[in-house]
Amino acid sequence: MPPLKTETPPASRERALRTRIENIESESGAKAIAVALHDAETGFELHYKADRWFHAASTIKVPILLGAFAAIDRGELLPHSRVHVRNRFLSVVENVPFRVESGRDANSAVHNAIGKMMRVDELAYHMITTSSNLATNLLLGVIGPDAVNRTLKELDVDEGIDLKRGVEDELAFEKGINNLVTADGLLRILVLLSEGKAFSPALSRRMMDILHGQEFNQGIPARLPKGARVAHKTGEISTIAHDAGVVYLPKRKPYVLVILTEWDPEGSGRSRTIAAISHTIYEFLTQGPADE
Amino acid sequence: MSSSPVFAANAEVNESPTFPLRVVDGLTLPPEYRKALRPGEEWKDTAGRMRQLPRYFYEIPSWDSAMKIELARNFLLWEFIQVDVREAPPLRTFPRYVPCAITLLAVSLDRFREAVGTLVHISANGGYRSPSHRFSKNATPHAWGTAANIYRIGDTYLDTRSAIERFSLIARETLPGIWTRPYGAPTGYAEDHLHLDLGYVLSVPRDVKS
Repeated sequence: MPPLKTETPPASRERALRTRIENIESESGAKAIAVALHDAETGFELHYKADRWFHAASTIKVPILLGAFAAIDRGELLPHSRVHVRNRFLSVVENVPFRVESGRDANSAVHNAIGKMMRVDELAYHMITTSSNLATNLLLGVIGPDAVNRTLKELDVDEGIDLKRGVEDELAFEKGINNLVTADGLLRILVLLSEGKAFSPALSRRMMDILHGQEFNQGIPARLPKGARVAHKTGEISTIAHDAGVVYLPKRKPYVLVILTEWDPEGSGRSRTIAAISHTIYEFLTQGPADE
Repeated sequence: MSSSPVFAANAEVNESPTFPLRVVDGLTLPPEYRKALRPGEEWKDTAGRMRQLPRYFYEIPSWDSAMKIELARNFLLWEFIQVDVREAPPLRTFPRYVPCAITLLAVSLDRFREAVGTLVHISANGGYRSPSHRFSKNATPHAWGTAANIYRIGDTYLDTRSAIERFSLIARETLPGIWTRPYGAPTGYAEDHLHLDLGYVLSVPRDVKS
């Protein structure tokens, strides 16, 4: 790992960084890439097309996590409150019922509990770490999208987040009713969490602990040194691949990084592209080859 | 709890010498419980007909006791009282209260269980739930303790038309007068469980002073 420096990078290095990201974008074949960065060590920020809206895919689970902990903060829920695990949801389109296919969740833990109950903190854990769609819709069913949106507004992180529905609502997808995010929108939430300012330092820490449990690590963490720890959330559908998280390196404050990408359905190299951008950012912040 | 509820007369009101639960007149419960249980009040069903809610309840002192008390040979009390965060907060802690008709449901389900020859699983929120439960929009036999949502029988999950209709038929053949919800998605139908109920049955223990 190169020696860590903490000066604010000069403008020339920032220009070089932007050029490198542009090069990665043009070589990747992606339809669009957005990057937002906030470095707590130097205060440096990068906003590369960071106000462009993308389909949120599973990154919308970060605002939902915030909404669940807001309910805990208000005393409406406890971490060990129990929720009925039922695989039946209503589309935002005409309340048509739908189910979450078990094959769409990375593990079967939540599906195996159908008919029984799981704790709020268990559902939150599965929603983030293995991106369980069933857990997500169950939590959202308890707290409600309106409450999540109110929370985002109260915390002043609603800009760049457009939560309309749960996940796997195919009918809504066909009608173009989707959850949307910008890189800056997710960045604001993650900065709030990493600074311990979401409700309380203790609740922020609990949310960060859940994000640290992420099991899909082919994006931001893939090309970081072994000493790096990343609390993050990925999102992937046919045309989308995102990763958004907080990167902790030894002997420096963390940086928050959001990388959103959009692709043709047959586009390949998505994780590789995200990992390349993440690596470029890492080198830039640690004064490595980014200033070539 | 601000005052002790009036238990029905004395120990002799229990329905059998070995039945360990006390009967409680819901009208004597503290205000937060009365507000949630609405004992003896009228409540409209989906067709607009007024139904009278149960007034007498068994008091369940603890989860531990619910895990041990047999309501029927194959059913323990806890299986009928699993509710999630949608239940009114006072009714998610102990002591808990269930309408006295819950025993009739348990005996009926026991007979059903014998007919299917394997374990019958009642879902969370699928046994007794109070009129204050967030699922309770209109009068439902669940609030009388006389309805059950069964999500699994043996290894079969009841989430398909064939499974639901197959076991629905067995229930109707086994239990005279039982009502089962037809398969389907609209309100009034069920597509991920078998709902069966005995109707709006009120159970008034013999010796209560009404």
